[in-house]
Amino acid sequence: MSDPDSPSSAEAMDGVSTVEVKTSARAALIPTIRAVVSDLAARADFDLDAISDLRMAVDETCATLVDVAAPGSTLVCIFRVYPERIEVQAEVQAKQADAVVSTETFGWRVLQTLADDVSVHHTPGSGGNGPIVEIRLDKRAADLPR
Amino acid sequence: MTTAGSEYGHLDRMLEQFAVLESDDPARDGLRNQLVRGYLPVAQHIARRFSGRGEPLEDLVQVATVGLINAIDRYSPDRGSDFFSFAVPTISGEVRRHFRDLGWSMRVPRRLKDLHVSINGVVSELSQSLGRAPKPTEIAERLGIPVADVLEGLEASEAYRSSSLDEMLSSEQGSATVGELVGEADAELDRVDFQQALRPVLAELAERERTIVLLRFFGNMTQTQIAEQVGISQMHVSRLLAQTLDRLRTRLDPDTRAD
Repeated sequence: MSDPDSPSSAEAMDGVSTVEVKTSARAALIPTIRAVVSDLAARADFDLDAISDLRMAVDETCATLVDVAAPGSTLVCIFRVYPERIEVQAEVQAKQADAVVSTETFGWRVLQTLADDVSVHHTPGSGGNGPIVEIRLDKRAADLPR
Repeated sequence: MTTAGSEYGHLDRMLEQFAVLESDDPARDGLRNQLVRGYLPVAQHIARRFSGRGEPLEDLVQVATVGLINAIDRYSPDRGSDFFSFAVPTISGEVRRHFRDLGWSMRVPRRLKDLHVSINGVVSELSQSLGRAPKPTEIAERLGIPVADVLEGLEASEAYRSSSLDEMLSSEQGSATVGELVGEADAELDRVDFQQALRPVLAELAERERTIVLLRFFGNMTQTQIAEQVGISQMHVSRLLAQTLDRLRTRLDPDTRAD
């Protein structure tokens, strides 16, 4: 496997490679982030449904976070590529102290359907800053046989 | 375009007839086809105005024709303006939107477009034999090309956002299974808290987009399964879903999304 484009070459020694993307928390930059994750998934040989699902899930995640983000804040997305799955961790500093991502919305339904596992975490901000809102996703390389 | 009156005069009456037909009138399709054919030179004319910007003229004509169809569907003679003053901006708008949607990514080399077509072809074959969506390595093996090329082709597919005219025109599917599946998905939608916010927005979608959204998010089907049911490719389902989610996101009030 000396082909640099072969999926397994993306794996580090421990079987995980990590990619971190930091952008301004602006909707205009979301296409860049989703292009990164869809490339990672394709190189990890996810099936086409899984690639497309993950791409849309990251799109939805980032759009949700950008909605609550404080002006001028940074959106941080960490992608961990395992042999058979990709883990996504995305976070932003929220504008309002009481900012929450509701799980009773269509957007959340979308995330639950597209990802194998999804959760949201709120950490109170320090020193007058808004809370940190974080969404975590887990996506397997292929659907389990149904 | 203002001198077009005499050339298109015979279509005016047809437009008036068309506008008053109920949406399920059997005469509608035939009349619509005649209107589209009759006004086609208008769409071609507008498409030519946008040529020379890196998009093949035939693609532009397709997009302009979609704009024409929208114009025909939405035009109502009783609003007092003539068809051209309504249709020309509608068609130009569709072509502009095409350029905007494609953005920088529209300049996809011919080789990648061809690759996209080959990949799309084997994806449905492989989905059939595997019973699930294929992986890039499986596509590469079937086509006898390096995985790197498949990855490149898939990337080009993402850039390829516009649907072909045939896809846009494919008649609203009404097969019994799809109907039943949508019925079940719809019942599932009733059980969620946000259905009151979502229903009216879903109602604005075209039949096929709504079907796909319901089957994916409330019918528990994969894109590949939906593609098979609805009779379009997985990549097309993927594109339509992404576009529709994007539209739903802007249409759903941020407060309903995040409160």
